[in-house]
Amino acid sequence: MISATFNHPEGTTDTLQIDPGVSLMKAAVLNGIGNIIGECGGQAMCATCHVLVQPEYRDQLPPLGEDEDEMLDCAATERTEGSRLGCQLKAGEHFSAIEVDLPEAQ
Amino acid sequence: MDATAAVRTGCPFTDKRSAVERAENAPTEMCSPVSETIGAGEMPVANWINVAELREDPYPTYARLRNESPVAWVPAIKKVLIASFAGCLFAEQHPEIFSNNVSGAHMTRAFGGQPMIRQDGADHSAERNVINQTLRPKKIKEVWEARFIANTQTYLDALEDGGPGADLNDVFAAPLAAKNLIDLLGLSCVAPADVARWSADFMAGAGNVLDDQDIWLRCQRSREELGSALDEAFARLRKNPDDSIISLLIHSGMPEESVRANVTLTISGGVSEPQHIMTSSVSLLTQHPEFLSWAQEEPTRFEQVFQETLRLQSPIAMITRETTTDTEVDGFRIPGGSQIGLLLASANRDVLAIENPDEFDPTHEARRHLGFGSGDHLCAGKWAAEAAVGRIAVPALYERFPTLRTDPAHPGTWNGWVFRGFSSLPVVW
Repeated sequence: MISATFNHPEGTTDTLQIDPGVSLMKAAVLNGIGNIIGECGGQAMCATCHVLVQPEYRDQLPPLGEDEDEMLDCAATERTEGSRLGCQLKAGEHFSAIEVDLPEAQ
Repeated sequence: MDATAAVRTGCPFTDKRSAVERAENAPTEMCSPVSETIGAGEMPVANWINVAELREDPYPTYARLRNESPVAWVPAIKKVLIASFAGCLFAEQHPEIFSNNVSGAHMTRAFGGQPMIRQDGADHSAERNVINQTLRPKKIKEVWEARFIANTQTYLDALEDGGPGADLNDVFAAPLAAKNLIDLLGLSCVAPADVARWSADFMAGAGNVLDDQDIWLRCQRSREELGSALDEAFARLRKNPDDSIISLLIHSGMPEESVRANVTLTISGGVSEPQHIMTSSVSLLTQHPEFLSWAQEEPTRFEQVFQETLRLQSPIAMITRETTTDTEVDGFRIPGGSQIGLLLASANRDVLAIENPDEFDPTHEARRHLGFGSGDHLCAGKWAAEAAVGRIAVPALYERFPTLRTDPAHPGTWNGWVFRGFSSLPVVW
């Protein structure tokens, strides 16, 4: 199980233990973590699983995909250096532990 | 990972067909008594539901379902209907339980193959990813918006020629929606009126549970006409690839038969929905002039009008699924193998998810709705529709005709419940 911590804009925090191969988006949605929607189910067709990855967890991640990059430009909250789509980040494959801030709006 | 707990977030909307007119067309005498196999005894039976009433005004039925039994076996429709926002969202978030690979071959027969809307998982993704390439916001902006704008001007001229009293549906909304789709697909030398007719025939075929031979014949004739147009498009686009959906599909290596089925699906599902949002927007803005003034002050607000119209008068009221295993929704057990109808139009008026859900209020940002479906089968045309209708067609109507409103002397007519929208809407200015 891989640990993922979600810091909500309201100041609260949730932590999940995720099965390997499951995306950060899917884990959040199936466990009722608010502030993540995941409207398109993970095909990089929306930008409603926008997460801001804490600096110390960024280096392990794969480079931004072209579709992911494009969709982040459409995110409801302006993107920053740590912006990623949670659907593109899979536990075990892309991170061994992660902490993200959730944006004000999706 | 929890796979069964009901969820509160999400959104959904996606595809359609199949059960569609099956439900629309099912006469009362066809409706069997409570099924022995599908969940009888496990959940409430809503035998008070009447298809004629759904066609007249479906919202009172949806409200009663949400209040009394948000999950219910409905003999008149031969499905388990899920009416709550949370329930519909849960189903959309669990495609491994609520499969799109619905039993029954009507759509396959009508379309001449199995389109992506009836597939799950990796099979679906492989086909869906091909068309996603041209349907993301960047391509919409760079490639398609200019076409949508030009097409809008064409049919604004037609409306102007028609003069006050013209039918907004016939003269503007239907041909514009069809022409935008012709361009997106990459068809040429095809008349919007023909595409609109094909769309109606394919939808009737997908729901032809009564095996009406006339419907099969119409379906076959339209498939042959589309087939000729596709032969031309395949030859042209093989030589000169472009950003159109057909070009992407044939160059992806997909078998021709699958390309034809997927184009047929796109034509079935891509005309009436944008058409209905255009007419519904004008109807709602006529009833609420305060929101028309509000949108005219800042035309980007028409995008919120689009979303709120889609929520309140969802053009696809129900999408169909089939359970792969026993599951539980809103506290009701649903057996595996059940035919499911997700009532998106009801979910979008669920007070547990949306404040004052029966009111039209586009000023609220982010009134989350399931109008496009949610998850893997989220409407592929979502970004195209938001641009073509929300950012282009509806604001352009009011720019050309600032006093546009529905004709008080000739109220419009509605049609359908699974696919619901105006069949005529005379306007004046």
